[in-house]
Amino acid sequence: MLALLGATTLVLVAAVRWMLPAAAGETNLKSPQNVEVYIIDDTFILQWNRSEPSVKNVTFSADYQTLENDTWVKLPGCQSVASTKCNFSSVKLNVYEEIKLRIRAEKDSHTSPWHYVDSFTLFGKAQIGPPKVHLEAEDKAIIINISPPGTKDHGMWALDSSSFTYSLDIWKNSSSGERRTKTVYPRDKIYKLSPETTYCLKVKARLLPRKTGVYSPVYCIKTTVENKLPPPENIQVDAKNHIYVLKWDYTYENVTFQAQWLHAYLKKIPGDNSGKWKQIPNCENVQTTQCVFPKNTFRKGIYLIRVRASDGNTTSVWSNEEKFDTQLQITPFPPVITMKSTNDVSLRVYISAPEESENKPVNHHYPLIYEIIFWENTSNAERKIQENRTDFTFPKLKPLTVYCVKARALIQEGKWNKSSVFSDIVCEKTKPGNTSKTWLIAGVCAALFSIPVVIYVMKLLFRCISYVFFPSSKPPSTIDEYFSEQPLRNLLLFTSEEHTERCFIIENRNTITAVEETNQTDGEHKKYNSQTSQDSGNYSNEDESSGSKFSEESLNQETE
Amino acid sequence: MTSRCILQTALLVYFCTTVLAMNYDLLQFQLSSSSVECQELLLQLNGTSKGCLKDRMNFKIPEEIKKSQQFQKEDIIWITLEMFGKTSDIFRRNLSSTGWNETIVEDLLATLHRQKEHLEGIMEEGNFTWDHRTLLHLKRYYLRIVQYLKAKKYSTCAWTIVQAEILRGFFFLDKLTGYLLN
Repeated sequence: MLALLGATTLVLVAAVRWMLPAAAGETNLKSPQNVEVYIIDDTFILQWNRSEPSVKNVTFSADYQTLENDTWVKLPGCQSVASTKCNFSSVKLNVYEEIKLRIRAEKDSHTSPWHYVDSFTLFGKAQIGPPKVHLEAEDKAIIINISPPGTKDHGMWALDSSSFTYSLDIWKNSSSGERRTKTVYPRDKIYKLSPETTYCLKVKARLLPRKTGVYSPVYCIKTTVENKLPPPENIQVDAKNHIYVLKWDYTYENVTFQAQWLHAYLKKIPGDNSGKWKQIPNCENVQTTQCVFPKNTFRKGIYLIRVRASDGNTTSVWSNEEKFDTQLQITPFPPVITMKSTNDVSLRVYISAPEESENKPVNHHYPLIYEIIFWENTSNAERKIQENRTDFTFPKLKPLTVYCVKARALIQEGKWNKSSVFSDIVCEKTKPGNTSKTWLIAGVCAALFSIPVVIYVMKLLFRCISYVFFPSSKPPSTIDEYFSEQPLRNLLLFTSEEHTERCFIIENRNTITAVEETNQTDGEHKKYNSQTSQDSGNYSNEDESSGSKFSEESLNQETE
Repeated sequence: MTSRCILQTALLVYFCTTVLAMNYDLLQFQLSSSSVECQELLLQLNGTSKGCLKDRMNFKIPEEIKKSQQFQKEDIIWITLEMFGKTSDIFRRNLSSTGWNETIVEDLLATLHRQKEHLEGIMEEGNFTWDHRTLLHLKRYYLRIVQYLKAKKYSTCAWTIVQAEILRGFFFLDKLTGYLLN
């Protein structure tokens, strides 16, 4: 029973608790949806959608918080707002600071949960609004004067007002409106228009990096009647030694001209810079279509030049503003070249700046490029190279050859280029190659060493041949030692002379035939022959004495 | 045939990178010479340092600039553009109290402008990304300087402090532009 009561109470309590939120569900608010921040210039808008459009009398409130400060501050202009957007432009915030927003719905005393917006910077979300344009018509041009979007000194674009670039669309108001788009300065002129024609234009601003603004409203203006005197055209500036020559074209005669200059950077700054144009010296009331002024009139920088004509009664409009960069007007001086031949059959080239006649050296913003022409002295084939280094080498050339080089300095920037005259020609002969030199020395040494070797070898060879084919008949020297006596020698060796003897035969004991003996030795032999009558043969002997002894002995032996 | 194709491609890539490398080298040369000129001009502006110690201010130059952290090459150009642009903006303000030589200030503005034009031309042509955070930090830094000048009513001391701060900024910028060279 009690348990039953307890259970029922519990169920009832649960039911009530469940119902209560449902009852308050009519006033249980949902936070707003699709909350977006829209910023154009200095106008900050917070916009959202109702999550329950059927619920009436709902207001919305928003807070903001900076990253530095952790507290939520009420967003001015966005407290208890009945509509679905609010303007909080009056908030005093650094546009570059990161902030967070939150918004909720409110009705009576009930509030929805907060809807948070991710952190952002006002500058990051800002869009560029339309610039303000003021127009002035000429006969063939329109002068435009653009004011940057936003408030000038404070606000979103406080620091960027001179960083805007403007893009302009212009067309003729007539039916066949061909649109021309140009990038213009805040104070600029649009040329090449027809007189007495209505032109319409609109301008938008851009900020780097990628922020493009909204177009301004369309402005239309009619150009005036054609002027009697046209403006000068084709303005050019030439630099010569210490002067600049400003030239232009003009069709009419008997007019005087006036030239003015302005710092180019002033064009980028919005506002009236008409008072900043200055007269170029020697170029006021000139009657020729040129004027000359010294170089030191202009310090290094970029300038704009304009010219107008006057015939006493009427003055023409100003000509096109011609950009004049002093850096690009400088004709560089020709460089000075030094060339040296190096050991490995190459030529090393050094380029140096010439000594300036003025005391201050020219400091180029655009680095110099050198155009070098290189050729062999004997041939006409030229090699042209461009180099930005001042110290480089021509490798692998022919040894002991004369090469010549000349160079000129170039300044190049986009379509501008200015070159100096060519330097003096410098010629240099390459050294003989290291390798050929070595070979030469080696060859010479080899030759020197080889000659005695060859001679020696030849000698040996000759000896060998002569030994084999033409042996010597001279006895070896050892024989001479042993056999010093002549007869023995004669016995042992062949003599060169051949002794021929006439032999005689003793046939008759009695008759002794005296035979001639060709033996040249002695008459004793003859004698001998006559004495011995026996049938002893005569032994032919060279040596008579020895021979006779021998023969005597043999005779004695025989008889015994 | 394939190997020849590969060789040609390799040569093309090599020369492309060489050409691109050269472009950055040339740009670095131009930026550093502009920076040197600007610093020389700034130094020619005579500042009175006496009695200005009390006006010193910590403008809190962004940490990433101070530490010369290594940025992408495009980011370095954006940073340079921002710094040159804001410096130019500052020096066009009320300088009457300083007694500085007007021609020197004009030369400074002209140098900054010339380099800015050149960089803007480059960045407009290409499709470059940029580092939001660093640029925002830089904008905040320059806003602090401008607000300081306004608060001090463009006094001589305030300008002297700002001159020193801008010179300091160029010093850090030089280190950054060094990264354009590889």
